[in-house]
Amino acid sequence: MATETPTLTSVGIDIGTTTTQLIISELTLSTTGLGAVNVEIEDTDIVYRGTIYETPLLDHQTLDVDAIADLVTTEFENAGYTPASIDSGAVIVTGESSYKTNAEELVTRIAADAGEFVVAAAGPELESVLAGTGSGAAAWAREREATILNVDIGGGTTNMCLFAGDSVVETRCLDVGGRLLRFDTSGTITHVSVPAAQLLETAGLSLDVGSRPTEGELHELAALMADVVFETIDGSGRSSTTKALTIGDGEYAARSLDGVCFSGGVGQLIASDTDTETFAYGDFGNFLAAAIRDRLESSPLAYRSPNETIRATVIGAGTQTTSFSGTTVSLDEDVLPLRNLPVVEVSLAGTDCTSLAAEVCRQLEHGLALHETEQLAGLAVALPDVGSLSYARMQTLAQALTQGYVDAGYVDTQLPVVLVPRQNCAKALAQCLRASSSDLSPLIVIDEIAVSDGDYLDVGEPMLSSQTVPVVVKSLVFGGQ
Amino acid sequence: MTDAESRADGDDETALDRILEASPSRLGVGRSGRRPRTASVLSFRADHARARDAVLTRVSEETIERAGLHKITSRVSDQDEYLARPDLGREISDATVTELREACIHAPDVQLVVCDGLSSTAVDANVGDLLPILIDGLEERGFTVGTPLFVEFGRVDVMDAIGEELEAEIVVNLIGERPGLNTAKSLSAYLVYGPERGKPTAKKSVISNIHPDGLPAIEAGAQIVELVATMHEQQGSGLDLE
Repeated sequence: MATETPTLTSVGIDIGTTTTQLIISELTLSTTGLGAVNVEIEDTDIVYRGTIYETPLLDHQTLDVDAIADLVTTEFENAGYTPASIDSGAVIVTGESSYKTNAEELVTRIAADAGEFVVAAAGPELESVLAGTGSGAAAWAREREATILNVDIGGGTTNMCLFAGDSVVETRCLDVGGRLLRFDTSGTITHVSVPAAQLLETAGLSLDVGSRPTEGELHELAALMADVVFETIDGSGRSSTTKALTIGDGEYAARSLDGVCFSGGVGQLIASDTDTETFAYGDFGNFLAAAIRDRLESSPLAYRSPNETIRATVIGAGTQTTSFSGTTVSLDEDVLPLRNLPVVEVSLAGTDCTSLAAEVCRQLEHGLALHETEQLAGLAVALPDVGSLSYARMQTLAQALTQGYVDAGYVDTQLPVVLVPRQNCAKALAQCLRASSSDLSPLIVIDEIAVSDGDYLDVGEPMLSSQTVPVVVKSLVFGGQ
Repeated sequence: MTDAESRADGDDETALDRILEASPSRLGVGRSGRRPRTASVLSFRADHARARDAVLTRVSEETIERAGLHKITSRVSDQDEYLARPDLGREISDATVTELREACIHAPDVQLVVCDGLSSTAVDANVGDLLPILIDGLEERGFTVGTPLFVEFGRVDVMDAIGEELEAEIVVNLIGERPGLNTAKSLSAYLVYGPERGKPTAKKSVISNIHPDGLPAIEAGAQIVELVATMHEQQGSGLDLE
């Protein structure tokens, strides 16, 4: 019987275009239902909100990994924590920082040093969802069964996430942010990013590094950026300028919104009434925020005050990335934790063992070919639908999976076999697999987790007497693709 | 109605769908004047009839035969007595004791018992998938499994009498649960270490809600295997487990 409420100490680290931040939170877990069917995070308490640092760069293409690692060390000291006391969390590289040449190296290193089960993540869609959960928009939509769009505007990118009730409908991302242009204190341009150059051309402004634009020119440019943001909020009839700055396919659902929420550094400027000194941050943020405030005043959109602005993404990363498997799992615990497992989805529609085995084999071969074997900790095979949960079906699947793993040469790689059925059948499937063959070892089967092709999965060490494992479903997308 | 209003209505409808999906309860059934709709009344009566059937009908011979169960009866002689005299449902006659000693494996590590309890439907629905995976799993771990029994008119504690007579180390009782209006197929597994008559309920472990919309039968089977292993290791059950 549980004698005390289990808690997790979780860290969130966000390395963005402009700022690098760290937060530490205490997550209280709850097991719901008789017989403890689900483990959920019941309460999150942010115990440390770190200093907001400028992201250290070596040059416009390269992040200063050592300096960032030092910042993290300093922050841990300030918070009174050590990496050894951290149970979980996420390091995410966001905005333009994820385009830098050494972004992957950075997150991998920081995550490995930051604690036992701290995962590395990147990708505009994940970033959008985390910002929307961190800002409070997700909770707002869930509590009211409402539709809300969270718009997180940072230094390099704008990440929108549309929430309806308790689900994420879609994300919308743009190369628009407060730091597309940089200035010195006198207002002379010191840097023009690629998207900013496109916008300047559209606006017919001949500004470049060294020129000192007039206020009018800056307001004109800010209005153009605000157009791009509002066209994307609207979701339909977008101009070619907007399309050029859109990350992803730009196919959006038409939804009427009950509210729109602005987070991120620019979101903070939008929320604050007082105008700070124009070039306080050496960038364009104040102009963009003013242009968006203007638009909001004349727009029918209902503005919802966010709970968090500039810290939304880091709070999302620190408190919302970890979830828990179903409480019936089967684990060869020695191989845990497992990091950065690419997810391969296998559809098990057939009934015939030979054709099922061929499908398993085909997807595994494909997955192995896609990822370099030396760096691979294993492939996570997602089973969205195993069919009927009957004894006969489990026997067939066990045979087919064993055959598929052998035929694909996966068992020769000595990598752990990780299976993720969507239905509650992990223990039963694992038992049948062990009975079917000793080839599939080490074996991890976790259930009731939604993963699909292209995701990455991290699996932590078991908790609550091996009833559950913390898992993180995430993306690892670098280079803004 | 303005465009904005009709759009808002559209959004509400998807919200209602999500709420309905989240619960098997009778939500959003509507009404006709002051009365429920005919469809609501009919589905309510059909579900109630299913619940009554679960209690009042017998487990099919086919289920018992296919699962390879040896059938015995508690001291209850008919359905009315079963409902009126829970004490008799917990006991077996001297003749049955003799039968058990002659026909069954003596002193197994694990004795499996299936009882109709208050839902024969639950037994029919789950036992076919649950028992084989349970037996496979127990044997894989090296436990000897006794002759699986079916007890007609059995209550939970009949496992104590059977386990005591057969000197089993652990007894697992798969028993049909009192049906509700959402499902009549819910089965529970009660487990006891060192069975003896009069053993308090606190010393029993339970895995409940085994049915197609709850804990799937196969997963319950594999879960029972692990619980048996834990009980064997810690030499106890119920509140004696850590």
